[in-house]
Amino acid sequence: MKLYLYGIIDSSDQIKESIYGLEEGSNVYNIPFCDIGAVVSEISQPIQGVTKGAVLVHEIVVEKLMEQFTVLPVRFQTIINGRDSLLSMMQSYYKDFKDNLARLHNKLEFGIKVIWPADKVKANIIKVLKKDEQKTIESDNSPNKRFIEEKFEEYKISKEFEAKADKFIKIIDIFFGKFAAEKKLEKLKTENLLLDAVYLVEKDKQKDFKEALEHIKNANYPGFKYLFSGPWPAYNFVVLSKKPGLLTDSEQNLFSLTK
Amino acid sequence: MHNVAMKSKDVTLLEILDRVLEKGVVISGDAVISVAGVDLIYLGLKVLLSSVETMEKLRGSPFISPMQEAN
Repeated sequence: MKLYLYGIIDSSDQIKESIYGLEEGSNVYNIPFCDIGAVVSEISQPIQGVTKGAVLVHEIVVEKLMEQFTVLPVRFQTIINGRDSLLSMMQSYYKDFKDNLARLHNKLEFGIKVIWPADKVKANIIKVLKKDEQKTIESDNSPNKRFIEEKFEEYKISKEFEAKADKFIKIIDIFFGKFAAEKKLEKLKTENLLLDAVYLVEKDKQKDFKEALEHIKNANYPGFKYLFSGPWPAYNFVVLSKKPGLLTDSEQNLFSLTK
Repeated sequence: MHNVAMKSKDVTLLEILDRVLEKGVVISGDAVISVAGVDLIYLGLKVLLSSVETMEKLRGSPFISPMQEAN
């Protein structure tokens, strides 16, 4: 029987709560490996494409696990070729999984997207640059020189735009960063999407983190919009190095017991 | 819908898709027969698929949901 894998958890215990899996009538259960486990449900046929329903079921299972365990969410539609293959995979990734589970223990992920009024920011930059230009000596009007000046102008606008983005991201990160254990910030994915950030936050700091959103909203930057989501399982913070899966003697003993 | 619905109305499908389809642990090796709906058998089981995202994009976006503002 093939197994659909939802996540890796920091427990070898069975899941007490009844959770429905992706295939109708299938239950989600834990396959222990040493002191951790792989949460799966049985699947008899391939899942037909990516559907909204399937994605939501996957997410619901992972979130339910998150309530009880530290969980490493696995990519959607990861299907393993049976129990033996799964145990073999667990053996080779064991160290990686353990490291990540320890790092992510008691932590949650939050997402923040900041949209800024890029057009207005740019218009403002141009206005300031034009003012500065008026102060400089009039240049001659030869086409070559005009072309170079235009290119230089574009360059200056783009540089200034980035500098302004950096400045605002720094300010925004002051609000949120102090409550985060780890973070990933992406600047200007598009001109309007100033910041796409994910923060890893300790559970007991999530209230402070959420309050930071209210504080930044009150900071009154006209035209800025904030998209906040979470708490999520730490989808963005699992780092696998695929270290050699050598087990210690005691772990090896545990493995032979679980097999 | 448990937490997904309870989390808040602000959480959009797009946010869920971004995580479930694009993030999370990607496992490689003989044990795995499918990741994100991409059949690995024809691609060589020993190959780590780093191009899952690309293949998903090539298949086209399955559904698009507009982002909602947090407020």
